[in-house]
Amino acid sequence: MISETPDVIAATGQASMVDRLYDSVMNIYRNHTFRVTIQAIITVWAVITFTFFLIRLMPGNPIDVLVEQIMVAEGIPYQDAYDRVAASFDFDPDASAIDQYFDWFSDVLRLDLGTSITSPGTRVVDEIARFLPWTLFAVGTGLLVSFVLGIVLGMMMAYYRNSPLDHILSLFASFMTGIPNYIWGLLIVIVLGIQFNLFNVGALRGTYDVSTTPGFNLPFIKSAFEHAFLPIVTYVVSTLGGWMLNMKSSTMSVLNDDYVNVAEARGLKDSRIITAYVGRNAALPLFTQLTISIGFVLGSGVVIEEIFVYWGLGHYLFASITTRDYTSMQGVFVILVITVVFANLIADLTYGFLDPRVRVSGQK
Amino acid sequence: MNKRTLLTIAMVVAVALLAFAPLQAQDGAVLNVAWPYTVPPTGHFNTFAANGMVLGQYQDLHEPPLAVLLWASGEYEGMAADSFGWDADGNYVVTLVDGVTWSDGSAMTADDLMATFNLFRLRGDAVWASLTGIEKVDDMTVKFVMDAPSSLAERLILITNLRPASVYGDLADRAAMLEPGDEWDALLAELTEFRPEVPVSGGPYKIDPASITEANLMMDLNPGGFASDIQNFDQVRVWNGETEVVTPLVANEELWYITHGIPPTTEEAFSSQGIDIVRSGMNNGPGLYVNFAVYPLNLVEVRQAIAYAIDREQNGFVSLGESGVAVEYMDGMSDGLSEAWLSDETLDSLNTYSYDPDKATELLTSVGFSKNDDGVWVDDQGNTLSFELTFPQEFADWSAAAENVTAQLNDFGFDITARGVPFQQHPQEVYDGNFQMAIRNWGLGDPIPARSYLEAYNRYNGQGEVAGEAGSVGIGFDNNVSYSGGEINVFDVSNESAQGVDHDVQAALVTELAVSYNELLPAIPLWERYTNNALNRNFLSLPDVSDPTFANFGGGADNWMTYFILTGQVAPAS
Repeated sequence: MISETPDVIAATGQASMVDRLYDSVMNIYRNHTFRVTIQAIITVWAVITFTFFLIRLMPGNPIDVLVEQIMVAEGIPYQDAYDRVAASFDFDPDASAIDQYFDWFSDVLRLDLGTSITSPGTRVVDEIARFLPWTLFAVGTGLLVSFVLGIVLGMMMAYYRNSPLDHILSLFASFMTGIPNYIWGLLIVIVLGIQFNLFNVGALRGTYDVSTTPGFNLPFIKSAFEHAFLPIVTYVVSTLGGWMLNMKSSTMSVLNDDYVNVAEARGLKDSRIITAYVGRNAALPLFTQLTISIGFVLGSGVVIEEIFVYWGLGHYLFASITTRDYTSMQGVFVILVITVVFANLIADLTYGFLDPRVRVSGQK
Repeated sequence: MNKRTLLTIAMVVAVALLAFAPLQAQDGAVLNVAWPYTVPPTGHFNTFAANGMVLGQYQDLHEPPLAVLLWASGEYEGMAADSFGWDADGNYVVTLVDGVTWSDGSAMTADDLMATFNLFRLRGDAVWASLTGIEKVDDMTVKFVMDAPSSLAERLILITNLRPASVYGDLADRAAMLEPGDEWDALLAELTEFRPEVPVSGGPYKIDPASITEANLMMDLNPGGFASDIQNFDQVRVWNGETEVVTPLVANEELWYITHGIPPTTEEAFSSQGIDIVRSGMNNGPGLYVNFAVYPLNLVEVRQAIAYAIDREQNGFVSLGESGVAVEYMDGMSDGLSEAWLSDETLDSLNTYSYDPDKATELLTSVGFSKNDDGVWVDDQGNTLSFELTFPQEFADWSAAAENVTAQLNDFGFDITARGVPFQQHPQEVYDGNFQMAIRNWGLGDPIPARSYLEAYNRYNGQGEVAGEAGSVGIGFDNNVSYSGGEINVFDVSNESAQGVDHDVQAALVTELAVSYNELLPAIPLWERYTNNALNRNFLSLPDVSDPTFANFGGGADNWMTYFILTGQVAPAS
């Protein structure tokens, strides 16, 4: 019998503690949710760091841009305009980008996105809070309506494939998909608004009627919907075709599956087959697309918001880029990056809940 | 899909359509104009700071100017200033109109003038380059103290829009006590971050903060404000947006007057609707700049040949239609300023560089250039005349001018490649001398000729150093020039021509500048930009376009529309 010395026992105990710690760490790391969350955080950091430096590599700077604007608008000499702008901005175009980055990033970690360069003293968070809800409302509603309509029409196309209805809807969907949203926006304003005078172009501008009181009251909600109507219509018509064609394709592949044939053989009602068997399974891949699309919602409205003078985050980003307002731009990109990355993360994490096959497969 | 599903979809669509009831604008006695602005919180009511809700020339309606220059006569007409002029000591004295009140109830007095100019000093405005101090003489009068009288200083004083001491007085009083240093910088930061809760107006209209949306804002009549008793409108609606945004509103007749530059096709559409297009010279336009460090562009014969080889009328018309008016006198300032400042004899002596390819050929041949087998000009060192021409790509009219110049010069035998550059970057490349040929502005929208000349001799010729671009050379033109009138430093003469108040002395200096520019062509003016303001007289009654006031520049200070409003000459059409 070999007895162990206290040193050996202690060493063995330490080793087992290290092993346990290692196992614990590895278990945490092997946890899918933890791992993808960490990856998402690293991705966010990498992208916002990259965009920080990319933004500063853009030609021009906030001072130059405003100097040109003032000169053109007021007809004053360069020196006068420059003096005025330089005195107004707390911005040094010659400052080190590295120093600016560390200053900015330490603020971001404290959830402070800084202040606007071109409107000194105005917090970027306040500006984003001013514009973000309207983009979420208009683009989000448009996306939702377009998704639901696309699912329904896509299923109809698949069910009545090769029928005149399918041919007409397919042509319609291809046509809609081929025209960019800003063309739809211009057509709506010029043709419907000016040529046919179906609505008052000016009165529908803005996000709501200032005679109403913002809050949960009918006049304000009605006003908000009225003002958002044209942007929403534009978002719907410009994205509907894509959902329709995707849903048609997805549905057709599902229609060939055995369980659908079995369901029909069992004599189940069409409505039940459509909703519980075909629709649910065909829509699953599109749901992933929808989740990812939500991430892109925030940045997709730049031109539409300009055309309809419906100012949301897209307009704010556009104005920030035009004036080279670095902190404002950076603030928007932080929001966009976080939204896109975490929308993907949510899609990744929730797919198992929507599709039992994935969940079961994961358990095995 | 069964009938119930289809019916549900149809009902959803119908409800959505019913919810959308077309809104109607309520137009009583409301004047509809436009200017781009930024909504709060980015936009604010501090008109000393960037993004303040100034509203361009419509600032005159809430912060009245001291005076307006009538360009046709060269005389100032007092607005908030009741009297103004030089005293025996060469200082400038301004007395305000009595009986005007700001919208917060305070009286408009000399304190407002003191506050305005003390904050100009803190901000580093150019007027303080001429001033040594300001003194309150009495409740309504302020003396602007300066070492020597200057017509430039007079202009900078009189075009000032007055701000209320009740809002800015505290900051201004503290500024008056300071000299540049840490406290000064801290106060400047405080000024730029200052956010008045409400706009205070001393003009005929006041901004209604509750009305501000990204679509438009309302300015209500401001009883007690300057000229408020002679207004014919109860409100002014300022529509927000740039050209592409306001164009549908003009077409829809919701907007009656815009100063935005519009393309020729839009002009035609507006004209067919019965909307007037009002054109006023803007004293500037695109010009062709060359880098004097690039041989042989530094040769005057080459620049003159280029001037002869370009059909400027064609260039102006393809770029901006009837608002692109070819420059005639080619002397560095607008034709209107030339006729105002130069004698007939001098005007007759100027070379107009009328389109003449043969003359251009003769000039190039005279310096030993010839064409090669490909029909491209080759200089005396054996190099083809191959250059890159850059231009700000977002400016549609300048882009068109650049493309047309390139085509015309290539037809003549040059080998030029045009390249668009983002508008934020393009001036920097010129400041840095990082170009061969470039389209930038000649002249400036200001009636003082010196300011036009300083664009070529200062801004684009090394001023980049001031703008933090140390070592910049710009176009590299030697300001010590020799011409038929002798040897002068054009930068110095430009500055001198804006000093003093003796018009004859100034005119003599301006003549030197004009003649030397015409001979040496430091830049080649292409065309003068005229405004193409859309004015719908179906809704607006104001003087006929033959009124000399329309000679005033259509944007910035001295705007004719705000002059007509301040003098009660704009009314609803009957």
